Amino acid sequence: MAPVVSKRIKTLSVRRPILYGNTAKKLGEIRPANAPVEHTHLWTIFIKGPQNENISYFIKKVVFKLHETYPNPTRVIEHPPFELTETGWGEFDINVKIYFVDEANEKMISFYHRLRLHPYTMSATGTKLPGTDITITESGEVRSIFYDEVVFNEPNENFFKILMSTPGNLLPSNKTEDCIFSKQLEREEIDRIDMAMEKVDKEIEELKQKLAVGITE
Amino acid sequence: MSGSDVFDVLNIKYKGKISEHEGTTSNPISSSSSAVAVNRPAKMQVTGMQRELYNLLGENQPPIVIQPNTKFKEKLNNTNKASPWIHSQFTANKYVTLEHWTKGPKSEDGIPESNFTKYDIHLSIPEFSEEEYNSFMNPQTKSTESNETDNKPEHKWSYVEILYLFGLCRRYDLSWFVIYDRYNFGEEKSLEDLKEMFYEVCRKYFLAKDPNDTTLSLLDYKKDKEVERKKYLKRLLSRSAAEIAEEEALIIESKKFEMAAKKTLSERESILRLLDSPNSDQSVAQYMSSQGIAQLYNNLLSDKARKRKHENGIPENPWMKQQQQFAQQRHHQLQQGGDKRVDANSMNKKNKKQKYDAQTAMKKKGDAEYAEQLLQQFNDEERKALGVTAHGEKLSPGVYLRSTKISTFKPALQNKVVTVLQEIDMPTRPAMPSYEVILRYEKLLKRIVTLIDLKKHLDKLDAEKAITK
Repeated sequence: MAPVVSKRIKTLSVRRPILYGNTAKKLGEIRPANAPVEHTHLWTIFIKGPQNENISYFIKKVVFKLHETYPNPTRVIEHPPFELTETGWGEFDINVKIYFVDEANEKMISFYHRLRLHPYTMSATGTKLPGTDITITESGEVRSIFYDEVVFNEPNENFFKILMSTPGNLLPSNKTEDCIFSKQLEREEIDRIDMAMEKVDKEIEELKQKLAVGITE
Repeated sequence: MSGSDVFDVLNIKYKGKISEHEGTTSNPISSSSSAVAVNRPAKMQVTGMQRELYNLLGENQPPIVIQPNTKFKEKLNNTNKASPWIHSQFTANKYVTLEHWTKGPKSEDGIPESNFTKYDIHLSIPEFSEEEYNSFMNPQTKSTESNETDNKPEHKWSYVEILYLFGLCRRYDLSWFVIYDRYNFGEEKSLEDLKEMFYEVCRKYFLAKDPNDTTLSLLDYKKDKEVERKKYLKRLLSRSAAEIAEEEALIIESKKFEMAAKKTLSERESILRLLDSPNSDQSVAQYMSSQGIAQLYNNLLSDKARKRKHENGIPENPWMKQQQQFAQQRHHQLQQGGDKRVDANSMNKKNKKQKYDAQTAMKKKGDAEYAEQLLQQFNDEERKALGVTAHGEKLSPGVYLRSTKISTFKPALQNKVVTVLQEIDMPTRPAMPSYEVILRYEKLLKRIVTLIDLKKHLDKLDAEKAITK
């Protein structure tokens, strides 16, 4: 792991969208042999590209830190797919650490994901209300998936070359049932924010006037 | 020192000795003892040590002047004849004759008027006969029966009483308290009754005389108000000490409120100024681009900094400033005259910051150019596909998740922001924190903060109003 000495390219940033989250299913008749009796759900936590593309060219490994009650709670995934399947009965926060390839010469990033096993939001099957992060598919699979972007601000030249050699930001143009994160959703989000902005602007204007009147009185 | 002194010191009589030297010495003092004794008796008084002292003083001895310092008041020499003062009579008014002392001879033609008669001016109170009175009091209903107007208060008054009232008014020059005191006609009447009647009659009198008189309204007397006023005054004067103390305490409290109000008013003004600083009547289009936003932000920031400086700063001493300028100029001149190297050195120091700024700007520009060069091979679409942007700003290098860079605020404010977000149906974390979404989301957050700030100030204003009410 020799540090790669390379100049950073200033004023430039490269972004790579990722999806992270978990899927969960109730354990039916078929149980993994080693699953404890009290475990009720089979779940999988993962980090992946928006279209399941290869992300290992910039991610070296992913470390999931599970609840301490699990044997060997720190699970290291060094090869794609970066996912971990386990059984369990409860929800807890999983610490996710993403390590980047050596060429990047970047620190790892760490964040938490709350494992979801139960569909608490009572929305209709398959539909995802914006702002809620849990969906349930027709097959009864609970999903809690987030979109995020890994931003490499001022990457070094070597890593920049690697990043540029692979098109990495391809969002599907439309929502699908399998993956709702798409250009379409992005557009919708922007529209929603714009509308909210208008509302707030209107209120600001009203308050301004009220204040002006109040002061002159 | 003369020889006589030696004899003097030795207590030797020298009269005989001197006669020996007679004729040989030219000194007039020691020429002859008899001559000295006879011709210069004044000079001879100064002898011994005293004469020595005078010798020390030299030729120009200052004259000792004895001044008589006893000054007496000049003797009065008045040759005028004393003017006569007489005790004479004068008429104070047409009823009273008094006496006083006056200068000059007694006047021949009877009792003179007082010098102050010209100040004895009386009000002109209207006079009228009974007929006139009846005509101007009820001009329309003169011919009709007086039953209709009987219930009006002024018609309880007979002409005789009116006449009596006016007589008193004339006599006491509308000194109402005196009039009220002297009034003794029929049933008891209040001061206000008297006043009301008087002004009522006067008004009607003048109205009949000249309806267009503009001063008529001055004769409008409102009895109810006057009674009320006196009632209030009575109550005000009959307060107990405890009540007065309470009132004073309240006044102090209210003053405190006023002070606080003034303070908040100035605060609010500054906030309004802050709000208005990006001219609100201009289009927001120019601030829509990210460059525009940055510019606006900088404007606001500098504005704020300037204002704060202005408010907190101690007023500059113009004299100090000038002195500094002088010192600087002198410094420059010295340097120009002196070593060139020193000059360059100090100039360097002075311009170091500027140079540094320029350098970083250049570097930044260079960086931006370099980044731009790297990206030259890609067009916009490709750049988007590759997820690469040249933002041209100085951000800390490194890797991060975009969603972690969403602004957060102080806990109290954050809670409010979240509440507003819920009200307008927005999530606290956008479902898709992509570059463009976050850009807009940040804008939204900023506006929400402004909104909350405004709300706070409006609430404050309302509370103040409630208090002042």
